[in-house]
Amino acid sequence: MSLVIETPPPHGGRLEERVVRDRELGRKLAKGCPVFDIKPTLDENGVPVRNVYREIMSICYGFFSPVEGSMKKAEVDRILKERRLLNDWVFPYPLVFDITEEDLKNLGVTVGDRVLLRIKGKPFAVLDIDEIWRIENTEELATKTFGTPEDNPEVVKEPFDKKMPGWVIYKSLNPVVLAGKFRIINEPTFLPPFDKYWFPPRKSREEYARREWRTVINHQTRNVPHIGHEFLMKNAAYMGDSEPCHGIQVNAIIGVKRPGDYPDEAIIEGHQAVNEGGYIKPERHLVTFTLWDMRYGNPLESMLHGIIRQNMGCTHHMFGRDHAAVGEYYDMWSTQILWGKGIPSFGFPAPITDVPYGLKIRPQNMAEFWYCPVCNEIAYSGCCGHDKEKEKFSGSFVRGMVAEGVFPPKVIFRPEVYKVIVKWWKEFDYPFCNPKYVKEKEERLEVDLPDMDI
Amino acid sequence: MAKSIAVLLDDKRLGEMKGSELENKVQMMFGGQLTCFILEMDDDKAKQVMDAFHTARVDSRGFITDVPIAFNRVLFEEIAKTKSLGAEPIDGVMARVSEIQEFAAKEGEYLPVPEL
Ligand SMILES: [Zn+2]
Repeated sequence: MSLVIETPPPHGGRLEERVVRDRELGRKLAKGCPVFDIKPTLDENGVPVRNVYREIMSICYGFFSPVEGSMKKAEVDRILKERRLLNDWVFPYPLVFDITEEDLKNLGVTVGDRVLLRIKGKPFAVLDIDEIWRIENTEELATKTFGTPEDNPEVVKEPFDKKMPGWVIYKSLNPVVLAGKFRIINEPTFLPPFDKYWFPPRKSREEYARREWRTVINHQTRNVPHIGHEFLMKNAAYMGDSEPCHGIQVNAIIGVKRPGDYPDEAIIEGHQAVNEGGYIKPERHLVTFTLWDMRYGNPLESMLHGIIRQNMGCTHHMFGRDHAAVGEYYDMWSTQILWGKGIPSFGFPAPITDVPYGLKIRPQNMAEFWYCPVCNEIAYSGCCGHDKEKEKFSGSFVRGMVAEGVFPPKVIFRPEVYKVIVKWWKEFDYPFCNPKYVKEKEERLEVDLPDMDI
Repeated sequence: MAKSIAVLLDDKRLGEMKGSELENKVQMMFGGQLTCFILEMDDDKAKQVMDAFHTARVDSRGFITDVPIAFNRVLFEEIAKTKSLGAEPIDGVMARVSEIQEFAAKEGEYLPVPEL
């Protein structure tokens, strides 16, 4: 019996890498193709809720391996029925390249054709069309994607509606799907500060090998880290194999923001401030990100998180209560149910790591940390018995303090982290994402593209 | 039952209290690393506050929360001015309701950056 845990293989067995770096070849692939300018997906009020460019990036750089492109109808149907791709590997969500009937008419394409996709007016990727199919009812697709209390009684408590961002994304899709494989032909460059933290799976795996990290635990984030988060990361990392995890990977989900979130720039630099301040020293810590418009699908989102981080080379993944959740749609322990005993109605009679073609990354379910004046320390909820005296790092309390401009004490935010919040507050005139930030962010995106004449 | 409201203090705010009696009324949170004033008000005053600011609510400990950011800021200014944790600062705040509401209306778009 070996207790040593090794880097898991990519989900599906090999990393998808669909980026053409030979620019001459890229030009050749795109030459003469009909051109389509990628547009954001808008909700019923015209507010951007998704940009498919993020899915193309995450597919082509291998975060979603073994997914290769926009899905065929049979694949979407299979995902909705049993959360598996046509090649049997588990996968939680339909991913489609959707356009309007008018777009299809203007493009004049059919099966076998290739489309050149542009963002910011520049060539970006090509899509080789294998199938053109139609979503009959996007609301039905949205509901089937996340489940219903009747069909998924193990985890779904309330029917999904327009307060659920993921449901809105699927409901807002255009009716025509161009299914087929993507290839990026003009590699984008990331805008600062994102450029420093771009570690797609090939690169993160190489980095961990170079650092001789055998075990790496992932921390999912969409927050500027306060002390509660920092203690969670440090303590969760004690779980490894015969020794604590060698590395802690922070992976921020960067995409469409909701008003009230912290700006992406502050989230990523806030985590880096923990590292540069030496609170988790750089030798043991790496800040990274993935492009994805969060669906807030709790257990399903945790499956996607497991896939992304396994592909990046992590051995462990931290999950908390209400993981990637919004509202009270899902049971707050749905993620733990998926990884602990399985969710038969989603196709998993056993934990997602114990089914054929399942995941190989290990869940680490740690609860919360709070300040306890009796223990006189940042205490773990599973240890501290001072229920009356404990002082929690409540999100609304911390945010209220930030909004008021009160300098937080070290027991709440590291000063280096708070200074990052203020730095981006100055830049955007606001500490959180407001409608202006959300709008401008979706125009600016996270990347620029080099010129490419085709 | 009387209601309470917490006013957070940082070094800058504490500096403005130097030498006043209120220095003895500073309360400690998080092992003394975070300080605040706890202001108590009778139900009448609490009702005035709740009526003036629709987002406000009373939590399980009887604390008024979710008031506009500008409310907290003005409340501290009134405490600093009156050097009191009694009815005077609340009266001062209620005299400035329209000013607070004007700020509150813009709080979704703009919040003043703190000086570090
Ligand atoms: Zn304790």
